[in-house]
Amino acid sequence: MKKLLEISLGVVTSVGGFLEVGSMATAAQAGAMFGFQLIWAIVLGTISITFLVEMAGRFAAVSHHTIADGIRERFGFTAFIWPLLVVLLVNFMVLSAEIGGTAIAAELATGIGFQWWALPVAFLAWLLLWKGTFGLIEKGVSLLGLVTFCFVVGAVILHPEWKQAAGGAVPSLPHHDAATYWFMAVSILGASISPYLFMFYSSGAIEDQWDESYLGANRAIAGLGMSFGGTIAVAVLIVAALVLGAHGVNQVNDYNQLPLMLIQIFGFWGFVLFVASLAIACFGAALEVALQQAYLVAQGFGWTWGENLRPRDDPGFSLVYTLTLFLAAVPITLGVDPLRLTIFSMALTAASLPLTVVPFLFLLNDERYVGRHRNGVISNAAVIFVIALGFVLAVVTFPLQMFGGT
Amino acid sequence: MQLLRDILDKQVVDREQVKVGKVDGLVAELRQGKPPRVVAVELGSIALARRCGARPGRWAAWLVARLSGKRQARPHRIAWNKVRDIGVDIEFDIDVRRTKIFAWQNWLRDHVVDRIPGA
Repeated sequence: MKKLLEISLGVVTSVGGFLEVGSMATAAQAGAMFGFQLIWAIVLGTISITFLVEMAGRFAAVSHHTIADGIRERFGFTAFIWPLLVVLLVNFMVLSAEIGGTAIAAELATGIGFQWWALPVAFLAWLLLWKGTFGLIEKGVSLLGLVTFCFVVGAVILHPEWKQAAGGAVPSLPHHDAATYWFMAVSILGASISPYLFMFYSSGAIEDQWDESYLGANRAIAGLGMSFGGTIAVAVLIVAALVLGAHGVNQVNDYNQLPLMLIQIFGFWGFVLFVASLAIACFGAALEVALQQAYLVAQGFGWTWGENLRPRDDPGFSLVYTLTLFLAAVPITLGVDPLRLTIFSMALTAASLPLTVVPFLFLLNDERYVGRHRNGVISNAAVIFVIALGFVLAVVTFPLQMFGGT
Repeated sequence: MQLLRDILDKQVVDREQVKVGKVDGLVAELRQGKPPRVVAVELGSIALARRCGARPGRWAAWLVARLSGKRQARPHRIAWNKVRDIGVDIEFDIDVRRTKIFAWQNWLRDHVVDRIPGA
């Protein structure tokens, strides 16, 4: 019974982790411009991240080490420094985008410009990390995050041609704007397969003191959590295709266009639901990315860390998330467009994948860490596939950014 | 056991299982006519910087000397004979609170963290 509760909580938490500003914005853009045609990118991204998250959880439960620990210990500092620097940079931009998404939600709700909200949002996030525990953040974010299910309800109410939607799950060539199509596919993949997600998950497993008895729960949480997250992202895409596309809004280049998606279905409450979904999903992700920065640095250098410790017992760790949060608020305060920053940072995430995914192949096959819980043939095939995908993304992202970027 | 594979970069914990750092460097003693012997492990930013090259190592040493005095401008060392257990982590029979390894974190606690309410 207790395990079942933990599994449901874990599932809800991973949905919260999955759905953030990046997956919402990229799905909405793709739906408006290409209808159901890009659903396959969400499906592919979701399957890939499911495998990585399961492995990150298994690695942590068996070895009591996180993925970041593993990369440093197994490959040495001179190799670790590259994923460290790149992930710190990518996470920083993603964090900035999440703060921007929350600030946009605040602007929609109050009419006060988003620039003014960046620092208050960062302060609130910092306060929660400073005073709160891991459990509070995990449970609070995940329960509130259930509001994003309104997109699924909306998609069902709209009665889409389900057959056509299922057809979108199979990759197909674009009929128009080919470069933009592929750029959006890359951004969607980047938004789904985020290093912060699986790295955070492995740290969370340590925070929640998982051991080998959690391997079954881990599998259930990874599988169900990521599929629910992917389902919501598909729902966002469907709603965007049916509402925005039907209103002739083919180019989403402003967050202010997005509430229209739900207003069409739920009226005024649609506006409220949209603002709440955006605010909660982005704020929750901001908390997780900020913590992940601190986890990464502390684990990479072997410091004492833990969100359940008081800041005075792990000052180095606490200082990292403090600095990260306030620095990440600066670009938004200066007026950088949150939507463009989001799309750009998702593409950059996609390009950075090889650095963080290649280590999985070694770590999850290393008996000293995972003993007899090594990867089987299927998991190894999945890792090799994601690595190959990561290298393709790394090569095509920047050319596509130039020709197909929005 | 292979030094570079099984010792370097591993997590160091003290006798209370407190995370001290990672093994950032190894110190070996060359002996006439006999194989070299590991005498200590090194921890800290200077040891790390040295692994990126001689110049980064000098910069780090200079920076540390400026920030916390000339006497601190070398890596922290833990004698190899203090080693207690070598597994995925390496445990040393020391109490990290009685070393200078956490000096910067202590400084941070006293001068920054404790001044912020709620710490």
